[in-house]
This record gives sequence, structure tokens and C-alpha cells, in this order.
Amino acid sequence: MSRVVEIPAFFDDKGFEQFAHSFSAGSITDRMLFDARGAQWASPYGLIGMLTAGQAVKEAGGPPPAFAVPAADEVRRYWVRAGFFGAAAELFELHGKVPKVKVEEVSDVLLSVTPVRAMEDVHGVVGKIQEGAARILTNELGLEPAATARFGMALSEACQNIVEHSGTSGWVAVHAYTFRRRLGGRRVVVIAVGDAGVGFRRSLEATQARRFGDRWGDAAALEAAVIQEVSRFRDPGRGQGLPGIKRYLLRWQGKLSIRSGTARIAIVPPWDEDVPMTESLAPFPGAQLQIVIPAKEGAPTT
Amino acid sequence: MMHTIRLDRVLRETVNTPYSDLVTRATGRAVRTSIRQTIEALEGGTALLDFSSVGLVDFSCADEVVAQLLLEKTDDVIVVLGGLREDHTEAIDHVLTHHSLAVVVQESPDGRPRLLGLVDREAQEVFERLHAHGAADAETMGQDLGWEAGRAQDALDTLVRLRLVRQEGFTFAPLPIP
Repeated sequence: MSRVVEIPAFFDDKGFEQFAHSFSAGSITDRMLFDARGAQWASPYGLIGMLTAGQAVKEAGGPPPAFAVPAADEVRRYWVRAGFFGAAAELFELHGKVPKVKVEEVSDVLLSVTPVRAMEDVHGVVGKIQEGAARILTNELGLEPAATARFGMALSEACQNIVEHSGTSGWVAVHAYTFRRRLGGRRVVVIAVGDAGVGFRRSLEATQARRFGDRWGDAAALEAAVIQEVSRFRDPGRGQGLPGIKRYLLRWQGKLSIRSGTARIAIVPPWDEDVPMTESLAPFPGAQLQIVIPAKEGAPTT
Repeated sequence: MMHTIRLDRVLRETVNTPYSDLVTRATGRAVRTSIRQTIEALEGGTALLDFSSVGLVDFSCADEVVAQLLLEKTDDVIVVLGGLREDHTEAIDHVLTHHSLAVVVQESPDGRPRLLGLVDREAQEVFERLHAHGAADAETMGQDLGWEAGRAQDALDTLVRLRLVRQEGFTFAPLPIP
């Protein structure tokens, strides 16, 4: 009998914890059913979270989990446009109808779920996204035109972390949507990057564990990387990616959060009520990064 | 003599990409190796790294292409940057500051070369003075700025160490930039 992993109805970074709890409730090699029938909406972070779980099962040698697709046609169509099912078909046994959807040229899906396996993929991601990003960032979010280039730089650095540190491949996706409750219903652009790799703790262990002593763990590793800006490489030129991302987010009042293992760290802008560090979360493979860039106050809401 | 190295061309020759973005550390390393080979073939002079047809430059690539190149030293060739957009400038300034380096940028709104990276205010002032009034020794520079000669000498030494001006005997001169 399969163990059921519940997919939250609204699957964003908050819903992710419910998902991680359900996923980690048994062995990773259990026969599992990912039940998304009740799903009504998923952010790119949620979509990549499901793929990451599937990849972790595959890499652990577990049987491919069954995946019950959302019952709502509109949701299925959105997930197709977001590139989710294309990637999921390689990791799950899909159950249910997956519609064929024509790709829209102008869409809120700025970048569909895209694998990041090597540095060449980062070039592709950055190259592909610029036109759509310019449209959303300037017209809808009211940011200065130069923001498009800085957005591309932040995206590039986020994707490179997978190739440099995870020890495996991962995914990136970028969507624009409207917050329902937060920020008074303002538009946001959300970048989600995730992998099922070694995570921050193992990546930094050789160079940082001794310095932290008994405190060493997932939270300390995230603190070292995000707050203290250390790198696992001894070359003094390394470790400039995350500081660069933080610098841009400060300018845009954006939010950065990174979850790895059992901890999650966030650089929290004034509009959000998140906490800077959360520990003792349900264990989840690899690392998951999310960047939220909000529309400037006064920008038109859609 | 000024030798212009178009980075968009180096990128296309070095990396198999249809894009013009200088992104990723691996790309930066490959581009730097190619620049290095070009520079080694030069017999002194100035190498202008021309960014004018480059798309994005991310921090990792900026570190590899510019900061690591300056750290490696470039024999008798002075490296100067040109064709920078505002976002290029930000990324390169960030990595140079990280390494306590600086570089001369060929253009600025007033047409004079400017500095990018970590340079103290005194060195900056002396650099601007040299470009406005031409070569000078430390004593003359000190008199012009109303400083003690030792203070001017320190600033000039900083600029020489960072390869931002030329020293010939006791005289300091701007880099030969058209």
C-alpha cells in the first residue's frame, strides 16, 4: 500500500511545510502517492518542491511515486503551461488527464520549470527570460528599466548555486502573480530555485563546522552562507553571489528565503511578517531558494 | 598603444552560446584565459576590455574576467575597461571592492577617465588632477592640491600599485588612453 503525500490546496512557501512534513513522514524509498487532486494553486516554489521530492526518491533508488494530477482543469492547464508535467513525467507515474496546452507568448509564467544541470543551462535561463522580465518588471511592477539586468544577474547567481554546490541538478522557475492577502494585493515576481542535492550543511561542513562547534547544523550553515557570506571555497573571490542578490533585494524591498535540511532563513522586508530563522522543520532534501520582488507602491495592480 | 578586446566576440569564440551575457564563473574563467592569451601577445601598451556589446554581467563572471585578471598581473600591459552600462559598472565595482582592487574606465559623462573599485578619496583626487592637468611629481601635485608632498606621494604610490597611473622616475602620468 502506498503512503499518501498530501499536496496542499494552496501550495506556496507556507504550504511547503505541510508538504515537507507529509513527505518526510516515512522512508524516502516507500511506495508513495502524491495526491494533488485537491490542488487549487501552486507557486513556482511549490512546483519545484514536488519535483525535488521526486528527484530525491529517484536518487535514493525508491520506486517512482504515483502522482494524482489536480482535479480542476484550470489548475492542470496552468501546471502544464508552467512546465511542471514535462519534468514530472520523468520522476512520477502520472495518474489523471494532462491536457495539451498551447504555450502563450505573453504569460505570467516568465520561465517555465527549467532544469539546471550545468553552467550552459544558466546561460539559457538568463538569455530566455530577459524580454518577459522587462515587460513585467517595468510595466507591472513599476521598477526602473535597469532592474531587468539586475534581475537577470540575481537569477544567474541563484542558478549557479545549484551547479556549484548541490552535487546534482535542479530546477528554476519564474512566475508573476498577485498576492491575495499580503502587500494589499500587489503584483510580485517570484523566482524559485531548488535541488535535491547535499544541502548547505554538507556543502559547508568541511570549512565551517569546526568554527561553529556544537552549534553546527542546518541553521548554522544557512547563517554562515547568507548572513556571514562565507563560501566553501577558500578562494577569496568566491561567495559573492548571495551578497549580490541581497544587495538588489534591499533596493527593491524584495525577500530572499532559503530552506535547507531542517532550517529556513529569510531576509525579511518591511512588508512581510516572516521570521529570519526557523529551525526544527521537517527534513527535506537539498536546498530551496525563493526570491520575491514586489511591485513598487503605487504600481498598477492587475 | 591601445589594443581593444571586444568581450562579446571573445565570449562567442570561447563559449558555445547564442547569448551575449557574461554569466557564470566557468564562462568567466574561459573568457579570462582567452584575454590573457591576447595580452601575452602584446608588447606593452594598454588593453581596453570593451563591454559595449555585452548583455548581462553577473558577479561571478565579473570576478573571473576583471578581478582575477587584475590579480594575475598582466606584465607590461595595462588593463582599462570601456563600454560599461550602469549594471555592468555595479557588478564590477562590487567584485573589485571585494578584492581591494581598482581599474580605470575609459569614459565618463565629462569625457575623462574614471576609477572603479576601492580607491581612497585622496588617490581619487590625485587621479582626477593628473587627468585634468597632466603629469606631475609628488611635490608639484602636493602644491597644486595644498597638501604636504608626503601625502601626495602616498596617494600617487597607491595609484601606481594599483596600476592606475604610470611612473617614470619621479614623475607620475596618466595612462595612455585616447
